Amino acid sequence: MTSRRFIVEPRGLASMRLLLLVPMASVLAALILGAIFLTLTGESPWDVYKKMVDAAFGDGRGISETLISATPLILTGLAAAVAFKMLVWNIGAEGQFLLGAIFAAGVGIWLGDGAPAAIAVPLIIIAGAVGGAFFAGLSAVPRVYLVTNEIITTLMLNFIALSFMNYLIFGSNSPWRDQAVSTFPQGRPIPEAGRLPEFFNRLDYGIFVAVALAIVAYVLIDKSRWGFEVRVVGDSANTARYAGITVPRKILGVFLLSGALAGLAGSLFVAGTVGALDPRSLDLGLGFTGIIVAALARLHPLAVVPVAVLMGALNNAGPSLQSIGVPPETVTMLQGAILVFAVAGEFFIANRIRRPEHEAVPGTTSTEVPA
Amino acid sequence: MNDWWWVSTVAFGIGLGTPLVFATIGEIITERAGILNLGVQGTMLVGAVSGFWATFNSGSLILGVLVAILAGAAVSIIHAFLSITLRVSQIVSGLALTLFGTGLASFLGKVGSEPLVGEPSLVTFGAIFEDGIADWPLIGPIVLGHDLLVYVGVLTAAAASYYLFRTKLGLSLRAVGEDPASAEAAGINVSHVRYVHVLIGGALSGLGGAYFALKIVPTWQDDPIGAAGWIAIALVILASWRPWRALFVAYAFGFAQFLELRLQTLGEPWSSIPSTLLAMIPFALAIIAMIVVASGKRARLLGAPAALAVPYFREQR
Repeated sequence: MTSRRFIVEPRGLASMRLLLLVPMASVLAALILGAIFLTLTGESPWDVYKKMVDAAFGDGRGISETLISATPLILTGLAAAVAFKMLVWNIGAEGQFLLGAIFAAGVGIWLGDGAPAAIAVPLIIIAGAVGGAFFAGLSAVPRVYLVTNEIITTLMLNFIALSFMNYLIFGSNSPWRDQAVSTFPQGRPIPEAGRLPEFFNRLDYGIFVAVALAIVAYVLIDKSRWGFEVRVVGDSANTARYAGITVPRKILGVFLLSGALAGLAGSLFVAGTVGALDPRSLDLGLGFTGIIVAALARLHPLAVVPVAVLMGALNNAGPSLQSIGVPPETVTMLQGAILVFAVAGEFFIANRIRRPEHEAVPGTTSTEVPA
Repeated sequence: MNDWWWVSTVAFGIGLGTPLVFATIGEIITERAGILNLGVQGTMLVGAVSGFWATFNSGSLILGVLVAILAGAAVSIIHAFLSITLRVSQIVSGLALTLFGTGLASFLGKVGSEPLVGEPSLVTFGAIFEDGIADWPLIGPIVLGHDLLVYVGVLTAAAASYYLFRTKLGLSLRAVGEDPASAEAAGINVSHVRYVHVLIGGALSGLGGAYFALKIVPTWQDDPIGAAGWIAIALVILASWRPWRALFVAYAFGFAQFLELRLQTLGEPWSSIPSTLLAMIPFALAIIAMIVVASGKRARLLGAPAALAVPYFREQR
């Protein structure tokens, strides 16, 4: 370790400027990488990106569709942010989202046409949270009381939730299935009274519910006593234990909260634009996109909102690319690349890199990066 | 009802389990070095599309397999760099690889003036022994009726087991996964060992993906591998990080998946069970098995590497 070209040392608190700069640089780097792939495959990156911006923000309809796509992403992003902050690796937002949608549609259909909106809407939304929390509980309880790896159980439960939804709509004559349509199985619509009103093109009030929940999550995690204890557990379970915090109960609480948030994404989907448990309109991948949102937002609940709008814009722009002969999956690739660069960016937020001027003082925590 | 229906079910199960054999053993090797790679699904998809593309353009299956292996190793560099050099969370880094790989594979399958999507493969892997031999009772379909890669899968299990438990390199690999600081004190380059085995894992995942595209679903489609990459990650635990056991749990999973299709053809009462419910069973079994055999300290007793998913900071020894 005689010749070191760079010295890497932990940075204390990163500046606000850096915290904003790194995520922006990750998006830019992903766009550059995407441009390289597009050029290599004979497409014009400029045309593609211009088309995407037009589709996502070009007119009122585009903006409303972008915000519609962003609504569930705010919630799945919050679900990941809240859990990951405490090192609870809930990657089952996908399944919890579906269970939320199933519960919400179930309650909506059960209420029927008689219930007034003032009762139906809150009940449907809460049902989604309960569904998501229940499904998260299936992983959370073994995680907390038996120390079962939650990564695998949440992951497997995603597939169980997907099959269960398919069973309700395609595999059985369940109440969720629309009996009036016999040609192709689809979800039965919930009553109009249970739907969130639209106010700007197809955009409904769900976006405000999502933003409000982001603020609630911020206050809960960053400002409340409960949130403080949760953060202590996330930083060091041992410290928390010495401080008299009951760690298992905190982990359980965070896990269930995370599931409830993902489930709320499902209920807003059902009460919002879709209005039914419909496998064809339920966007798959929202749970995983939520993880990108959380990572790019650096697990900050308020930052989740603008990042979700960006990801929603990308999701919304994807299908429009078909009209210029470019696969919509370009967008998925870009999102994956954004996450790769955002994750790499964490290193630059956590560490300072400099050229060695003098030999580092022995005992400091510098390390050498072989270049 | 054919009395021997289960013989062909076992035979097909071995075929369906073979890509899982490659991916699971690859992930075992990676995890034995202390790196959890959740990028298997994305890596398999990149292997599938690149292998399919190479065979489609050359007509050579072997070239397709080689390209898939190289592509799998190449995309795994992303995870290796993020988790070993930059030491970010292995979980988020692996997910990033999966998302990027999934998007990249779909993109490559659809882009260009003559997209691959919907194209059938010109050649696929066929049985290596002649028909007469494969018709022998029992042994024929189950043991002798397979294509080359099924046997390569068995050899991979043998080779990986020998490498991990009988060679000096395997010992240093396991040392890195158990206690990187001590391994380094013993003169082992921890980063180097981890890089190499993340790439080996990626190469095997790429090969597993190619088996889907060149045998199981030999027409390019957007999602040729289902959830195989995720399943492989769960199978690592059920195989308790041992290659031979991986072979059997992968075959068992393949068998369960094929049984699900097979029950539909067996008449009442079997065919009245909704396939959407049957599709849940393997996942439910995997969860129950996880809870029963791999909870808490039992995971360590099974063989979980002690330093799994823990970034290694040299200066914090």
